[in-house]
Amino acid sequence: MAKENLDKIIAELSKAEGEIKPQERGAVNATFGERAKQAKKQRSKVAPHVGRPGAEPKKDQRAAAKKLEKVATPFALSLEFEPVFAENERKNIQGNIIPGFNKDYQYFLFYRIKTVKKAKVWLRWIAPLISSMEDVLAFNRLYRILRYRLGSKDVPIKATWVNIAFSNAAVAKLVSKEAALSFGDQSYRQGLAARSEYLGDPTNPRSSGNKNKWVVGGPDNEADILVIVAGDAEKAMLDMVDQIKTEADRGGLTLLFEQAGETLPGRLRGHEHFGFKDGISQPGVRGRASDAADDFITPRYIDPTDPRSDLFAKPGQLLVWPGQFIVGMQRQSPEDLFTAAPEATNFPNWARLGSYLVCRRLRQDVKAFWEFAIDTAASIGLPARKFASMLVGRWPSGAPISRTPGADIPDLGADDLANNHFLFDDATRPSNLIPVPGYPGDTYPQAAADLLGAVCPHFAHVRKVNPRDSATDLGKIADSLTRMIMRRGIPFGPPLLGVGLLRPPLWKKERGLMFLCYQGSIEDQFEFLTRRWSNSTVQPNVGGHDPVIGQEGSQGNRDRFIVVPTSPKPTTVKIKDEWVIPTGGGYFFAPPIESIAEVLGA
Amino acid sequence: MPLLSRFETPAALRDFPLGSPFYDRWSEKVDELMGRDRFPGSAGPEPAPIGTPVGEFFSPHRHDVNPIAERSLVWMGFPRELLINNRDNRQLAFESGDTRSATERTTQVEYLEWRVTREGDRIKKVTFVTETKEYWEVMFAFDPNRVLDLYRTLVDPSITMAQITDSAGRYNMLNEFNTSRGIVHLIGISPDNTLAAAIGLAQGSVGGPGRRHVRDNYEITSFPRTSADPRVGIDLDDLARKGLSVTAAEAVGLYMAAWDDTGWTKPDGSPVGNYWRVVRGHPGAALRLEYEVPAAERFDVSDIKIGGRPIRFGGHLAEHITVTVVGRAGVRP
Repeated sequence: MAKENLDKIIAELSKAEGEIKPQERGAVNATFGERAKQAKKQRSKVAPHVGRPGAEPKKDQRAAAKKLEKVATPFALSLEFEPVFAENERKNIQGNIIPGFNKDYQYFLFYRIKTVKKAKVWLRWIAPLISSMEDVLAFNRLYRILRYRLGSKDVPIKATWVNIAFSNAAVAKLVSKEAALSFGDQSYRQGLAARSEYLGDPTNPRSSGNKNKWVVGGPDNEADILVIVAGDAEKAMLDMVDQIKTEADRGGLTLLFEQAGETLPGRLRGHEHFGFKDGISQPGVRGRASDAADDFITPRYIDPTDPRSDLFAKPGQLLVWPGQFIVGMQRQSPEDLFTAAPEATNFPNWARLGSYLVCRRLRQDVKAFWEFAIDTAASIGLPARKFASMLVGRWPSGAPISRTPGADIPDLGADDLANNHFLFDDATRPSNLIPVPGYPGDTYPQAAADLLGAVCPHFAHVRKVNPRDSATDLGKIADSLTRMIMRRGIPFGPPLLGVGLLRPPLWKKERGLMFLCYQGSIEDQFEFLTRRWSNSTVQPNVGGHDPVIGQEGSQGNRDRFIVVPTSPKPTTVKIKDEWVIPTGGGYFFAPPIESIAEVLGA
Repeated sequence: MPLLSRFETPAALRDFPLGSPFYDRWSEKVDELMGRDRFPGSAGPEPAPIGTPVGEFFSPHRHDVNPIAERSLVWMGFPRELLINNRDNRQLAFESGDTRSATERTTQVEYLEWRVTREGDRIKKVTFVTETKEYWEVMFAFDPNRVLDLYRTLVDPSITMAQITDSAGRYNMLNEFNTSRGIVHLIGISPDNTLAAAIGLAQGSVGGPGRRHVRDNYEITSFPRTSADPRVGIDLDDLARKGLSVTAAEAVGLYMAAWDDTGWTKPDGSPVGNYWRVVRGHPGAALRLEYEVPAAERFDVSDIKIGGRPIRFGGHLAEHITVTVVGRAGVRP
């Protein structure tokens, strides 16, 4: 195949995206509870033990499995076992953790505490502005009602949200060194800069990704406080940012760095700068916001007659116990997909209902990514767009290549009830959905079994960071649930795609992703996904590095490789260039809201 | 594909001259393990009989199958059970991980065992092994003096035959040079870190009764807390569900596939050099691996930091070693 032209590819990508259709599914939960009550439970049986003598499952695992087998009523797991978030919890959990701001405009302020006493005054000022889970859920509820009533996504209500998080050094300054040490997550105590090399970041001081060159979060410019402002309307958001900055100036804080983030425009809304739809796969959170049977934190779309309704919120969205994201709540068992594990104990009391926040400012070199894709595709006889989609595991529209190996299906990419519904190892069976007004059903081709990675390679980004039904180097599938993170990223910088003729000045502008994620353990979740899976050539499955975000750092070496499933033999492709470069960030903790004024600001 | 005429030694080790009858003895041992209809002593499911529609586990020495794919089944070398049992206290997990002696049950249950060589409280060297007792027992039965030679080479030149045998002159794998004073091969007892156990696990993973209703891996929920057992069990069951015939690829054995020292730093903060040494086996299929800082560097393993944290236990390294068996899938001609 002749080598394709970069400008042409970029132009095609800009034009060929499917319309991002409004999702008219807001009110589906209204009928859900009733259906749940009427339907019959059909739980799958638990397979017998396989393993070495002496390594049988523990008694509690067997008991949990038996308990589940006895469950006879629909959604019994949800209604009997999953937590109901109490009012105190809903009002204290910061809203960007759960359910997430998901606003088109976001702004990030990185502060260093200059004068502790003044900073505490500022904290008491900002505490009432912090948006809670309750606030965001209420807004989302209203938004869904209006959207359903108006039949349009253009709903005349807007919100501006504020959240805040603190480094471990900030806790030491504002509370005490003992308090800072009582956080059990050692990576949080160390900070991002100290863990940079472990994450595979460049160790060469001359490299642009080296931590000493970071715009924030390097050894000499670590931030104490991260403020996140998010809004539907840019002006309202910027007004809030100005207000916070003005008060912070008076409040003994030094602004180290500020960054605006914005969803890409037009048809690329929801996509990242390489052109691929982002943020499709998020874990669902088990639990309800009230006693109402259908008031789930994460809306449920799978019909209760389908046994997978206790595993997935919507097709492909695995349900995870909330302690994986909120410290002090029940965590996911690493042994069993359905059951909870006890809550964590290694944090100070005042931090209960908080969450660890990782922020990585990642620069994206769009040109380098696509040049690699075009050159390599030509050398192995694949269309560039197809090969680039194999790197990601999805087509630019978000359609999974597992479901449509030959060509993009933009409507599939835009279909929230279908675009995440696929397994890797076995053929995917259709899910039974509850009635969704206006939704014709998932009529796209289902994914075939791909255990060996012939369609979606083992190196593909989506397969690396979310192995789904595949066994991993940690063994069972339930363990993978304990690795999931709640992603809250947003692009920054001017888009390249969708802007027409590309001129060199535009290439040179900085752009990338403000990657943010919340979790119950930085080491077991974000760091694990990065270091143990994305950066590894053999984990979770053998096949090379994650070519999108993976880094190689062993003994200072930076070269990566992927094993492309070509016929008749696989082709090993070396990767010399890097297109996702760390340029800043930090490890933070987003405390419960009442502790901002009463503990940190006291 | 023609039947395999002889099983190869692990990593094609040549502990005896080419042409030695030892290689036939080893092949017979592997054939004995691979050809079993069931795993003796196991309460687990039987393997599917050869030719069943849900797949089969076969011996390439006894059954002719056309291979279509090989798959490395990898898992973490550090015991997963210790990490999940000490989810909020990793220090305790790593402290527990270094337990390995003749009298205490080893906690090193992932077919990877290690021994830390210390001077005072300083770590000088960590030695990792995946060699199974079966290989050493077959060697001993064939030529005890060769085993003694290897012990002397690998552990201590002064070792005597009496020190590695029991009162009846039989090989004693729990001798002090394979437990408290050295390490040569796996000793894990419960669960077994043996080749028989590994092959038995593979055989038991394939289409046993009660597992035939399984449609995807979400429906397989009952496994031990190790990484190795569910990794092998899920993957082989999955291949067999596709109607494939599966076996362990040549050379049959357990190996260290990879080790990752990304983010490991010298006292000056720069990346470490390559301080790994494959003593038996080869890169990608190591059987005995040592980690020791060359004397010229003038610091010890204890001075190395992993992600800013000093190495205090062998388990800190084991967490970054990947163990593997290679599975092969095929179809009957």
